[in-house]
Amino acid sequence: MGMTRLRLLDSSSAPLSTLPYFEHGDPGPIVAALAHVPELLAPTASFIGAALGPGAASTRHKEMAILRTSAIQGCQYCTRAHTVASLASGLTDEEVRALRNEQPWTESFRNEDERALLAWIDAMASTGPVDELTWATARARWPDHLLVELAVTIGATILLNRFATGFELPTSVDVAERLAAGGWA
Amino acid sequence: MSGTIVRTGTIADAVASGEMPGRVWLYSNYHCNLACGYCLTESSPHSPRRLLTADLMASVARDAQALGFTDLGVTGGEPFLLPWLTDTVLEMADFLPVVVNTNGTLFGGDRLGRVARLGGARVALQISLDSHLADVNDEARGPDNFAKVVDVVPRLLGEGIEVRIATTTAGPLDDPSLEPLRALVASLGVTAEHHVIRPIVRRGRADELGIGLLAAARDIPSELTITADGAFWGSFAPTVVNDVLDIDLLVSRTVLPLEIPALALLGLLRDQPAGGDSPLGIRCA
Repeated sequence: MGMTRLRLLDSSSAPLSTLPYFEHGDPGPIVAALAHVPELLAPTASFIGAALGPGAASTRHKEMAILRTSAIQGCQYCTRAHTVASLASGLTDEEVRALRNEQPWTESFRNEDERALLAWIDAMASTGPVDELTWATARARWPDHLLVELAVTIGATILLNRFATGFELPTSVDVAERLAAGGWA
Repeated sequence: MSGTIVRTGTIADAVASGEMPGRVWLYSNYHCNLACGYCLTESSPHSPRRLLTADLMASVARDAQALGFTDLGVTGGEPFLLPWLTDTVLEMADFLPVVVNTNGTLFGGDRLGRVARLGGARVALQISLDSHLADVNDEARGPDNFAKVVDVVPRLLGEGIEVRIATTTAGPLDDPSLEPLRALVASLGVTAEHHVIRPIVRRGRADELGIGLLAAARDIPSELTITADGAFWGSFAPTVVNDVLDIDLLVSRTVLPLEIPALALLGLLRDQPAGGDSPLGIRCA
């Protein structure tokens, strides 16, 4: 792992109750950092897992929300990690580049439902109110429960964005290698 | 009907059944006027203080009693470097009996007068003494330590304060060479029951020096231990190596309400593999 502002714990230094997370090797920098506060690790990991993991929303739409939010928040760690995850979920190179803010997504996403969703994600991942037109357009095309689920996904992503950015967590070797292999920064 | 209060609840039941030890330790501070070679916490006059406040210590005592714990311990560093310690210990003793680990070297002059107020309270002072030979003791614990301890123990007893002696040894706990020390301790007026002999644990400065027993978590008494950095598995757990606090035996960063770390520790105890008690004889009091 590269440099970080925090001492990242390993199986020899992590608190007793967190050791199950280290049983199968390096759990990644987020867990290695969270282990500093053992009582927060399990509930945070559980929450993040539920918020970003499988749900009623498709993996494609979850990854759209996560990657787009991470790009808007300027989180290099999460943007890189979810570039890999987004490509694995079936998003195209062009779509991923648009979600990463490297080109306007309006040119890459033609489906009206997804365009409504992306406009709403952009508003949710930014500061300030969500304007009525954006909300009404998204709600007309997507069920309430899915917007609620994605709102939680976006919120959890922002938490991770700030955590990873603030502590300058290093991109894992695995992600870095996969990005390099695909010609991604 | 007797006046005994029978406490119920998860922690109280675990303590009553022996599943969880009944004592809660508090690291009042980490700095010390001595710098012993085997110190778990690298304590010295220059150590970061890592202070608990008097209010927090009293709150821990109150919570500990309410949860069903039976005893309190205060350790450091040298607790009596804190001018307010005697008042706080007396306040804590209103809730539960307290033992205070001390090197016993700070009770000259006015300080004896301050600590004398502990006489008759539910407070014991546990003073460190490692050898019946002054030079051997002082090599590990500092110049004049032996003379100060031997002088102060009878005077504390004379003030009506319960005194215990703690001996830390690099050798076997049943080593016959400890007999003269046992005799010395008895001659000072401290009963054998109140003389704790324990091994050096290879943590903290002892680890840097490569001395003492290697101890896994289950070898270390699992008495809930509160520090400025969080709650730990036991009083041998929040050690310091090269100025870095070990958190391998950290239970939680949250210390109050005490029920949070207490339940976290109980969960860890219940996750321990079945087996007998550790044979290493590590004990705090």
